[in-house]
Amino acid sequence: MGTAASYSRSVKTLSRCADRSSRVYYSSIWMVLTLLALTCVPGTSRALAQVELSWSPSMVKGPPGAPVTIIEFSDYQ
Amino acid sequence: MLEEYDGRVRLIFKDRPLAMHTLARPAHEAARCAGAAGKYWPYHDRLFAAQPAFRRADLLAYAGELGLDRDAFAKCLDERRFASDVDRDIEQAQALGINSTPTFLINGQLVIGATSLEEFRSIIDKALRERR
Repeated sequence: MGTAASYSRSVKTLSRCADRSSRVYYSSIWMVLTLLALTCVPGTSRALAQVELSWSPSMVKGPPGAPVTIIEFSDYQ
Repeated sequence: MLEEYDGRVRLIFKDRPLAMHTLARPAHEAARCAGAAGKYWPYHDRLFAAQPAFRRADLLAYAGELGLDRDAFAKCLDERRFASDVDRDIEQAQALGINSTPTFLINGQLVIGATSLEEFRSIIDKALRERR
């Protein structure tokens, strides 16, 4: 499991509703991400929270350099 | 779908067992035990195929089907070796306000609920265009 790391580079703005003020940062090691999550539901376009995410390498599919990252929060039941 | 995008998409799975799903929590911990043995994704797929049969005996049986060492797996499960890791995922989800499943973040864009493949493709294609 990753730990907090310095943020080496900004990646991109997130979405149309994020263009005004929000960016997402990936850490230099790919196990930690600080994410500014946004909601794009009409009428509620605003930042929700800035949260540092970590994950297990075994729970990842696809290359670390992929231009699109999908983070799935799910429940087996 | 990942194969369709051929290295352009990465998927990260995060545990978000809901409190009302009383059998889910041990299943999430079991999947991480399988992951420690190099079989996370086969076990993950087995759980979704078997839901909601997640009693201890079921979880051990699935490990056996995948060729995992049943004793070592049982020890991992009984010790709740990955409980704190699942807790961490839950805390991160709650901090993001994610209280239903499935919920996706696609390059930071929130997508709540089961979504059609066509809609997924549309969101991914848009994210790819924005990265060019």
